[in-house]
Amino acid sequence: MTHRRNTYRVTYVLVSAFIVVGIASFVLAIILARDLTVTYVENEFASRKVEVLEYNIGPFNDFFQNRIPEISFYQGYLDSAGVASYADSVLQTYPFVERIVFYDVALSNSESVDYGFSANNLVVYPKGIYQFSQPNQTGQPSSTANHSGQLPLSLSDDFNNMAVKFAAFIERVDTTKALRDEDIFKVFYAVTPGKISYMNIPRRDDLKAYKELMYGKHLHDAVYEQDIFTYFINPNKLSLNNTVPELYQHIQIQPLVYESIDTDPDLLTTETPLPGALADYKIYFSSSRSFLLTEINRRFLPVLAGVVAIYLLLAIIAYLIYRNLYVNERMFKLQYDFINNLTHEFKTPVSVIKIAGNNIKSAKQLSDKERVHYGKILDEEADKLNNLMNTLLSFTQIENKSIKIKREEVDLHEFCDKVLAASKIKYGDLIIQCQVDANRALYIDPVLLGSIFQNLIDNAYKYSKPDNKVLDIYITQTKKQVTMRFADKGIGIAKKELAHIFKKFYRVQNQYNQQGSVGLGLAFCKELVNFMGGEIRVESELDKGTTFIIVFPVD
Amino acid sequence: MKEWRGNTVNMVRRIVLLFGVVFMACLTRCDNHKTRIIPVEDFFSEPEKTNFKISPNGKYIAYLSTYAGQKNIFVLEAGKESGEQRITSETELGIQSYFWANDSELIFTKDRKNDSLQVFAVNRATLAVRHLMPAASVKLRWIPPSKVINNGFLISLNERDSSVFDVYRLRTDACKKELVAKNPGNIIKWFADLDGQLRLALASDSVKETVLYRDSEKEAFRPVMSNSFRNSILPIGFSGENRSHVFALSNINRDKLALVEIDMNTGKEVRMIYSHPDVDMDNGGYSSDRGEMSYATYATWKQQRHFLNKQTERVYRAISEKLNGYEVSILDRDTARTRFIVRSYTDKDPGATYYYDITADQLIKLADNSPALKDCLLAEMTPITYRSRDGRQIQGYLTMPVKSKGKKTPVIVYPHNGPSGRNQWGFNPEVQFFANRGFAVFQMNFRGSTGYGKEFWSAGFKEWGGKIQDDITDGVRWLIEEGVVDSSRIGIYGAGFGGYAALHGACFNSDLYACAASYSGFANLFTYLKEIPPHLKPYLQMYYEIIGNPESEPDLIKAMSPVFHTDNINIPVFIAQGGKDSWSTVNETNQFVQKLKKRKIPITYILREEEGRYFRDEENRILFYRELGAFFDKYLK
Repeated sequence: MTHRRNTYRVTYVLVSAFIVVGIASFVLAIILARDLTVTYVENEFASRKVEVLEYNIGPFNDFFQNRIPEISFYQGYLDSAGVASYADSVLQTYPFVERIVFYDVALSNSESVDYGFSANNLVVYPKGIYQFSQPNQTGQPSSTANHSGQLPLSLSDDFNNMAVKFAAFIERVDTTKALRDEDIFKVFYAVTPGKISYMNIPRRDDLKAYKELMYGKHLHDAVYEQDIFTYFINPNKLSLNNTVPELYQHIQIQPLVYESIDTDPDLLTTETPLPGALADYKIYFSSSRSFLLTEINRRFLPVLAGVVAIYLLLAIIAYLIYRNLYVNERMFKLQYDFINNLTHEFKTPVSVIKIAGNNIKSAKQLSDKERVHYGKILDEEADKLNNLMNTLLSFTQIENKSIKIKREEVDLHEFCDKVLAASKIKYGDLIIQCQVDANRALYIDPVLLGSIFQNLIDNAYKYSKPDNKVLDIYITQTKKQVTMRFADKGIGIAKKELAHIFKKFYRVQNQYNQQGSVGLGLAFCKELVNFMGGEIRVESELDKGTTFIIVFPVD
Repeated sequence: MKEWRGNTVNMVRRIVLLFGVVFMACLTRCDNHKTRIIPVEDFFSEPEKTNFKISPNGKYIAYLSTYAGQKNIFVLEAGKESGEQRITSETELGIQSYFWANDSELIFTKDRKNDSLQVFAVNRATLAVRHLMPAASVKLRWIPPSKVINNGFLISLNERDSSVFDVYRLRTDACKKELVAKNPGNIIKWFADLDGQLRLALASDSVKETVLYRDSEKEAFRPVMSNSFRNSILPIGFSGENRSHVFALSNINRDKLALVEIDMNTGKEVRMIYSHPDVDMDNGGYSSDRGEMSYATYATWKQQRHFLNKQTERVYRAISEKLNGYEVSILDRDTARTRFIVRSYTDKDPGATYYYDITADQLIKLADNSPALKDCLLAEMTPITYRSRDGRQIQGYLTMPVKSKGKKTPVIVYPHNGPSGRNQWGFNPEVQFFANRGFAVFQMNFRGSTGYGKEFWSAGFKEWGGKIQDDITDGVRWLIEEGVVDSSRIGIYGAGFGGYAALHGACFNSDLYACAASYSGFANLFTYLKEIPPHLKPYLQMYYEIIGNPESEPDLIKAMSPVFHTDNINIPVFIAQGGKDSWSTVNETNQFVQKLKKRKIPITYILREEEGRYFRDEENRILFYRELGAFFDKYLK
């Protein structure tokens, strides 16, 4: 294993496995999502009928919870005149109320009343019965009144039912306590399929009085009034509104016992019974499978898009990781080359020093000439090593931005003179011509600028044939910038190399730089120029010469 | 230099001490020049000592105070500030009412429990208690004057029929009661003459009132005069000069009630004693021992007196000098008229009860009326007048909170109950409670209020939901134009009819009011009318005339009953309701509240099953006011 850990690894199998698993999971995700959507829609088909039910019985609930108890507010005072407007508004607002029968009921202890329901001394009898039904063709609500004592059987049934319940309630009621809610529903409501009867809820003191009437404790002949209403409900008139049209193709109100005779296996159905007085009917929902399929697809589409988007994102991330790895690999290779070069660079002077050292050591006696010779060799090679290390050091510093720019006013004429003088000493055979066309001083770090000049002069010297070592430096100034051109007549640079020469450790392969070159000089120049806010570029033609152009902005 | 420094140190110490004292005073009591939020309890808790009564010879003062959690009778020697003696020891049921039978004995009744009533007498010196009337489940009403004459005094009881009160003479020597007059069912008030003989009665079938008179108890009552309920004859008492003459307030043939003397033999008005061009005369100023009117009293913007008796005028003047700046009234006096129980008050001071001896010119404070509010800086009640949209002049009162100058103040519109009755100038704990919490309080005597003559009163008939409400609205608009209140922060609150007006305002004037609070307000006038049993037909007729006929005009009643119009309400509502209130039912109020809740209207609902129309239990009352204060704080600040 330790052996394997340090070897170069082949990733083709891994990459292909990754791709296969990715695609497989993508397909699986899509299938799952589709399955879930189907289940979800089918569940909704079964459950959202409650929503439809609640919406559609809203008017009925409003009628049952608000308009019916409203009768109690009238405290039994309603009579033929007052009830008409009430009945009108109910019939108009709620089309499912087909007919309203109003019993104007009196409670009395009078013995002269010979009809109605009596319990002990209490007689409960209708003073009048009024019927109201839905407007007929002429648009008028029809109402009939019945004042006779004899009730038709159909009407007496509801009345008696309420009267008996009420009388029994009066008998047992504890008038010192407040009415309980369950009593209210049991006594004052009678809800059967298709029919609701309601009696106005009397005040506590009224109940006390009724009790007195019943047991003959009331001293005066008294007539109290109560109102009983019977509402006939037709669930078929309930306006049906499909609030979930995407799920239910058809909805209908059907009798509770209704079963569809449609044998189509692709027809899905569900139902929900109606509450209270509508209880003998149900809402019947049906949709064909293809109708649901449209809905499933409609819902699956965004899911699909989502899954695809996620996988696309994954793919992009995978590609980016791969690209980074690739770049890193190249970087690694470059540094590897650099170490190779560097080792080589160090090796040459070191071996020369070693040989010189050995020679000095093994020689029994050194002549002056030999001593000077070896001294010179040692000195030169030591300089080479020193230069090499200096360059490396400054380059690291500038890369880490750990040096600071010490800007000051630099007079370019003076500066060029100094550089020229120094170069003349260093390279006796280099002919440098310097022309400065600038009258203003440049605000720049002179040490760093000196480094740049030195590097470019070194290059010009290094890459020129011995018989043609020429460098023209030409400095011009415009309002915004100072341009410095370094033109030599050296070997030039091939076009395909031009793009790379400012890269670290890059060296043009030729005979001129076999010694003492690491490929850092130009990269260093570029870093310095950029560091001080300038730009550097190169123009070159093979065998004719190279021109470096540096541009500094004048602030 | 050293001395100087020593002085400063001393001074600083003194100042610190002074500040400390002032600070402590602020914590415990109101400082005269500071306003703070006074706790609810301080406004609405009952005073410690009440019902001061002086003995006929003027030597003793009796009063009710708490012993073992119940009201008991205490006696204090007149002219002394302490040394009171408790003469009853009731620990289960407190004393409800009492009076001096003579100089040594007091007659009292206890709080009723299980509808059971008993009458007792207690001796001031020996503390011996006698049972004058055995327990019976009846209600008792005193018949004025409550005093023992020839070992007997008159009471009326509903013993025979729970709805009618017969008159009995309770003999203090024999401890027995004897029937004096049987009520045929229509008599609502009885009057005895100076000798304690029952000779005058007021009968009413509510549409018509009849005055009945007889020369002696041996004869039968005979009707002397009768009039419609729109007019009034209110007998005050018999004249001492002429056996058949009676003092009364009457507005027959005039608009405003005047103080008159009527000869009951003929039923003719013999003398108009005093009247005021703008307002009705009030009951008061009759001395039952001498049978004479000592003054006539009436309320303009505040209570006024017109003296008819020099001696009384002198007494009042003497007391007023002593209690300068206060309104005073004499609550009780001895037979010689030298010693008095006096009450003082102003609009911003609940005042105190005093004992005053005119011969010694000695004034002794017996009790502060609301000790907790003593020295608190309370708000001033200013009389105001405005005109309604149809030009009627409406009087009212505006109480601006202390320190309200220059600021736009939130206001609580506070229509009175009734609508019969009126707001008076004086100390009103509810008004002060609101003002203390930074609200201006606006009260108005809208049409239908009493005290401004019968035309003004009857102008409110069938206008409960109409012109009466317009008068309130007009008042509020007038107030806004005056520019002292913040028109965006107006609340309305009232009890009974006032609560009805508040709910009406919430239904139909939602843009004017920011919130509304109803204390046992009539949410449904059908229910309100249902309170009158159907066998009392005349009564029903009167109510139908005042409010409207639910049988023939159900739409009118419906239109003005808030319970039918909850859909219009879109401001926060506060409702307090007693479970036993027969003028509105819990069912209805619950429905009302539920409807508002469904519509997401903020609502505070206080339901106390055990309470009647108004909360009697002190704890419930304080809870109610605390919630009410919080409600207005929330929605008007």
